[in-house]
Amino acid sequence: MERYSEFRYSLKIFFSNPTAVAGFIIFMIYVIDALIMQFDPRLLGVKNPNVLQQNFVNPIPLPPSLQHPLGTTYPGIDLLHAIEAAIRIDLFYSLLVVLGGAAIGATLGIISGYIGGLLDDVLMRITDIFFAIPYLVLALAVGFVLGRTYESMVLALIIVWWPLYARYARAQTLSIKRTPFIDAAKIAGVRDFKIMIKHILPNVLPPIFVQISLDLGSIMVIFSVLAFIGLIPNASIPELGYLTSLGLNYLQSAPWTVIFPGLAITIFALAVNLMGDGLRDVIDPRRRSS
Amino acid sequence: MKLWAFILKRIVYAIITLIGLTFIVFALLHVGGNNLLLAAYLNPRLTGPAKQQMIKELIQRFHLNDPVYVQYFYWLKALLTGNLGYTNTPIYSGPVTTAIALFLPNTVMLTIIASILIWIIGIPLGVYSAVRRDSVGDQSVRVFSFTLYAMPIYLIAFILIIIFGVELKILPFSFPVNPMLASSLSWYKGGISYPTHIVLIDALIHGNLIVFWNALLHAILPSLTLALATVAGIIRILRSSMLEVLDQDYVRLARAKGVPEKVVINLHARRNALIPVLTLFGYTVASLLGGAVVVESIFDYPGIGYWTTQALLSNDVGGIMAATLIFGIVFVIASLILDIVYAIVDPRIRY
Repeated sequence: MERYSEFRYSLKIFFSNPTAVAGFIIFMIYVIDALIMQFDPRLLGVKNPNVLQQNFVNPIPLPPSLQHPLGTTYPGIDLLHAIEAAIRIDLFYSLLVVLGGAAIGATLGIISGYIGGLLDDVLMRITDIFFAIPYLVLALAVGFVLGRTYESMVLALIIVWWPLYARYARAQTLSIKRTPFIDAAKIAGVRDFKIMIKHILPNVLPPIFVQISLDLGSIMVIFSVLAFIGLIPNASIPELGYLTSLGLNYLQSAPWTVIFPGLAITIFALAVNLMGDGLRDVIDPRRRSS
Repeated sequence: MKLWAFILKRIVYAIITLIGLTFIVFALLHVGGNNLLLAAYLNPRLTGPAKQQMIKELIQRFHLNDPVYVQYFYWLKALLTGNLGYTNTPIYSGPVTTAIALFLPNTVMLTIIASILIWIIGIPLGVYSAVRRDSVGDQSVRVFSFTLYAMPIYLIAFILIIIFGVELKILPFSFPVNPMLASSLSWYKGGISYPTHIVLIDALIHGNLIVFWNALLHAILPSLTLALATVAGIIRILRSSMLEVLDQDYVRLARAKGVPEKVVINLHARRNALIPVLTLFGYTVASLLGGAVVVESIFDYPGIGYWTTQALLSNDVGGIMAATLIFGIVFVIASLILDIVYAIVDPRIRY
């Protein structure tokens, strides 16, 4: 009963913050768009969400019109449909990166924070090393070794991103470890493994989820950057960074070809950031009052 | 902890980090197979029997038939003696060390200009935003920095190009220097200038003001893009730390004493508010270097990021290996220096 009211209170805080709600609504629009593309793309007029519909009869970019609300990009691709399809792919891969990174990072962070000692020192030095390399460069190196595909890029970004979550999970674990209820559990003879799963994990997860929603936007931005610089050879797969790079040669005559796909990412990144800020206010009581 | 003990500890950490970095790079090379290490050190100009001979020599030198840890040791030895192998890309082909000497100074120049722009743009906006808290100006600064934070760096570049290059036609946005002009210069060959390899500075050394002006114009858009892409974090941190400082007793005392508001903000408050910004600057260096990879390839700026992308697109092992190491080393050293500066400025950090 008490849990339920706490949850309702949290919802109330979240929905009393207009910018967070706006962020949430935009995020849901993107999610719904991705789901429609997955299950019934014709609903939004897209024939095949896995391939860009090229039109070599009319390859030169056309300005926005009634027929093409966002215009077309080279070669004759309708931007609105392409962006609708691309959101599904970008969202899927970004989610894969943050969830994978959070899973690995949280596991290692909790173990390292709980056990402490030499293991903790070693893990923290390892995260230091990963922080020392700009993510883009490490992604380039990993992509080079594992092959330049979307899947290997996801792996590369997970390798880059898990240390961040490991740090958060460790810090959170350290502060929980000092609370009396963990001592009580230890005295009662609860095994370490069970304490980590049942008592520490539930307390580590909320801040990790906030961080996930804050990172989701950055990851989508990074993912599109990787595709944009040509890191991922693309067989006309709808992806926002690749879509942007298609318009590169028409930058001067047809600016919409680069602006619209870029805006699609910017709006998403803004929305999840606002949503994440709102979620953080819910979790962190110190921020509620202000 | 004494200052020297802190510095010593940080240096030891930095060395451990650097060793770990070489370990990651070597592991990556090894996952890709032994021939990757060979490919990195094989001179691309060799053919036929000479090439076979070289392969044999390299197998012997790097002990490629021995266990992995032996290979790692010999590879590390080669690195420490400055042997980074060969790179073969459309923009440069030859020893990696020469490539670094050609491209790194340009990137350093770019990041220095970008850092200056970050201070010029970020600090007044952050301070203004905190002083005029919740005013219309503050709200617009926050929306501005939030939007910049969410934008992919290439979109920032395109918007700047469309505004300044295409619409206003006041700034050039491709080629480091006008190629027509450059080709007539004796010290500018194949897109690379001599002797510092930074066109901007070389032009000054040679006393060629036209080229200097041209190079300066060409450096504005890339560095502005880089600055705008990283300034958002600075504005946010400065705003919150400034708000915290403005709430402290000594600021209240200064105001109560009747010190003019301008002096309170610029002299008393801003100095202390800048300390957290300084720590964040370490991360700014990292994002500047990462952003340089994208910015340089958009603007064809002959820096190390441009070379890295070219190396990647032409499957050049030597280039990728070296670039990963260089970016890591530059970042580790930059954050080491910043940590030491921070410890000198704010003694509390040493504990």
